[in-house]
Amino acid sequence: MSEPKTNPSGLIFFLQIFSISLIWIMVVSVITWILNLISLSRYLHDAQNATLIISLVVLPIFTLLAGILTYVFIGIRKARPHD
Amino acid sequence: MDALRKDPDYTLYRPILESDRRFYWAIGFLGAVVVWAIVMYIRQLVYGLGVTGLNRTVTWGFYIINFVFFIGVSHAGTLISAILRLSQAEWRRPITRMAEVITAIVLAIGGLHPIIDLGRPDRVLNVFFYGRLQSPLLWDVTAISLYFTASTVYLYVPLIPDIALLRDHTTKFKKLYTWLSWGYVGTERQKHVLERAMSILMVVVIPVAVSVHTVISYIFSMTLQSGWHSTIFGPYFVTGAIFSGTATLLVVMIFFRKFYHLENYLKEIHFQYLSVLLLVFALLWGYFTFSEFLTGIYGNEPMEMRVIQFKFSGAYAPFFWMMVLLNFVIPVIILAFKKLKKIPGILVASFSVIIGMWLERLIIIVPSLSNPRLPVVSEPYIPSLTEWSLFAGGVAAFCMMFLLFSKVFPLISIWEIKDGRAEGLEAVKERLESYLPDTDVAGEGA
Amino acid sequence: MTKWGMVIDLNKCTGCGACVNACRIENNIPNVGEEEAQKGRALDWMQIVTEYEGEYPDVRVTHIPRPCFQCDNPPCTKVCPVHATFLNEEGLVGQVYYRCIGCRFCMAACPYSAKKFNYFEPDIPESYEGIRNPDVTRRMKGVVEKCSFCHHRLSLAKDLARFENRELREEDFQPACVESCPADAMTFGDLENPDHRVATLIHSSRAFRLDEELGTDPKVYYLKKEDK
Repeated sequence: MSEPKTNPSGLIFFLQIFSISLIWIMVVSVITWILNLISLSRYLHDAQNATLIISLVVLPIFTLLAGILTYVFIGIRKARPHD
Repeated sequence: MDALRKDPDYTLYRPILESDRRFYWAIGFLGAVVVWAIVMYIRQLVYGLGVTGLNRTVTWGFYIINFVFFIGVSHAGTLISAILRLSQAEWRRPITRMAEVITAIVLAIGGLHPIIDLGRPDRVLNVFFYGRLQSPLLWDVTAISLYFTASTVYLYVPLIPDIALLRDHTTKFKKLYTWLSWGYVGTERQKHVLERAMSILMVVVIPVAVSVHTVISYIFSMTLQSGWHSTIFGPYFVTGAIFSGTATLLVVMIFFRKFYHLENYLKEIHFQYLSVLLLVFALLWGYFTFSEFLTGIYGNEPMEMRVIQFKFSGAYAPFFWMMVLLNFVIPVIILAFKKLKKIPGILVASFSVIIGMWLERLIIIVPSLSNPRLPVVSEPYIPSLTEWSLFAGGVAAFCMMFLLFSKVFPLISIWEIKDGRAEGLEAVKERLESYLPDTDVAGEGA
Repeated sequence: MTKWGMVIDLNKCTGCGACVNACRIENNIPNVGEEEAQKGRALDWMQIVTEYEGEYPDVRVTHIPRPCFQCDNPPCTKVCPVHATFLNEEGLVGQVYYRCIGCRFCMAACPYSAKKFNYFEPDIPESYEGIRNPDVTRRMKGVVEKCSFCHHRLSLAKDLARFENRELREEDFQPACVESCPADAMTFGDLENPDHRVATLIHSSRAFRLDEELGTDPKVYYLKKEDK
C-alpha cells in the first residue's frame, strides 16, 4: 500500500482546480444565457414578466449549487493534515 | 492488497478490482445496440424526420414518450435518496448510491431526447441565442440542466470519501482517484464539511426534482388540447415519475445483488421497505388516474369524451387496459400479500410497473394528438424501426453506463456502511431513547 | 390598426377545392407523393374539412375550408421556444422558416391543426420550374410551415400603393384562395376598416368562428350554413 497522496503533483492539482471551475463555467454561462433572454424579451416586448420571474427562480439555485461545491472544495483543502 | 482482502467490506471493492467474462460480453452487446442506434440516428439526420412514423396530426411520438419516461425514471434516485437521508432512515445506507447513479445517467439520456426529436438539430443553439422563457420547452431546458447539475453534485459529494478509500487501498486508476478525491483523507473537519454540504444539498435537491417533472407535464397541460389541458398533470406526472423510478431502482438493485453477490448488503428487508414505497405510489397513481378520468367522463364535454373513448374502447383500448393491469392490478396484488412480497415477486411487480408507466406516457401523448378538434383526417401512428432502435439504444446506453460506473466506483457507499457500523448503532439507540418518555421523571413525581 | 381577416360563406362553398390548389401553386407547396400523403403528411396550407351530420340517407354535409385562423390570441406563438412564430402588428401570425428548430410544439398546441411539418426535404419537380412563385420562400426539411394569408402579396401591394402614392385599397391585397374561389364564398379584408366588406359581414347573424370558446380569437369567420 502506498502513502496517501494529499499534496498532489502539479498536473493533478491543475485538474482539481479545473474540476471546480467547471461548475462555475456552467453557472456563468447560464447567467449569460438568461440575461440574453431577458434583454431579448424586453427588446421584442414579449412576455417580459414571465421571463423575469423564471430567471429570479432559476439563477439563485444554480449559484447556490456552485457555492456548495466550492465550499466542499475549499473545506477539504483547508482541513488537510499538513504532510 | 492483502490487507484489503481482510476488510469485511471487500465484496464492495471486488467489482472494481476483478472483472469476469460476463462483464465484457455485456458491454460488447450493449455497445453494439448503442452503435446501431447511433447509425439509425445519423440516417434520420440525413433524410429528416420522415424516417419516423409521425404524421401531420400525431407530431410527437416515441421520442417525446421516451423523453418523459426516462426523465420520470430519473426521479428514483436523487429524490428517494434525499428523502431517506433527510428522514435519517438507517436502512438507506446501501441504497442511496445506486439511486443517485440512476438519476445522473438516465437524466443525461432523457435530456438528449428532445434534441433527437428536433427537425433541425443543427439549429438547437437557437434556444440559447433566441430563446423565449415563456415557452414550456425552455422551462424544461432550464429545469433539466438545473436538476442534472444538482444531481451530479449530489452524487459526487457523498462519493468523495469512497474515492479517497479507493485511492489509498487500491492500485487501479490511481491518478483518477487522486484527482477526484480532492485531497480528502477523512479528518474530523473534512467530514464535518461534507456533512454540512450534504444537509444543504438534500434540502435543495427535493424541490428541484419535483419541479422538473412538473415542468415536463406543463408541456402538455399548457396547451388547449383535450386530454392534456388538465390541472392535475403536475402532481400526476411527479407521482408517475417516482413510481417508475422506484420500480427501476428495485430492478437495478435485484440485478446487481445477483451480479456482484451483494446479498450481504442488500437484504430482503431493504426490498421489503422499498416495495412499501412502490405500493403506496401504485395506490396514489390509481387515485390520480381515477380522478383524472372521472372528471372528464362526468363533465361529458364532447371533445374530452372523444379522447377518453379513444382510450377506453377505441384504438388505444388494449394499451389502456394493459396499463391499468400493469400499473395498478399486478403491483397491488403482489405487494399487498406477504407471501408474494418476496424478491421474485417484487421483481415481477417492478418490471410490470416500468412497462406500465411507459404505456402511460404513450396513452397520454398519442390519443390526444390523434383526435384533433377539427374533423381533419388523422392517420394512425405506427412507430418505425428508427424509433424502436433509438428506444433500444437509450435503454442499452443506460445499462452500459451503469455497468461502467460500477467498474470504477463502488455501487454501495463503503464509508456509509462503515459509518453505520461505527456510529449508526449508537446514534439510533440514543435517538430511540430520546423519543421515549422518561421513566425517572415519572418516578420523581410519585 | 389594420386587422386582416377572412369571411367564408358556408352556404356558397361547394367544397370544390379550387382554393386548395390555388394555395399550392401560389405558395410553392411541394407535392409529397402518394405514399407520404397516405401516411398523413400532405403539406396543404388550406385544407377542406368535411363535417357530416346525421345518418345515411339523411346526411348533411358541410365543407369548411380551413386556412390558418391567424388567431389574435394564438396558442402556437406562446409555446414557441425560439421566436420562430409570432403575431405581428397587423394581426398576422408569422412563421420564420430559417429560425424554426422543428420541435413541433406549435403543431401540438394549435387546436385547429393548421400547421404542417416538412418530414423530408421538399421535392419540387423540374416541371414546376416555370410556375414556381419567386416571392415565396422555399421551405427546407425539418421546419414547420403554415398559411400566411399570402403575406408576400401584402408586401407587394403596400409597395405598389406607396409607389402610386395612395392608400391601400381592399382589392389590392387578396390571398390566392379568395381570388380563386369560383363560388365567391370567400371575402377578405381589414376587419377594422368599415369600408371593407368583411367588417360588415362579421356582424351578420350567421357569422361564427370555430371553437370560439377556446378564447383564441380567430380572424377567420364563417357564415353558417342554412337550409333553404
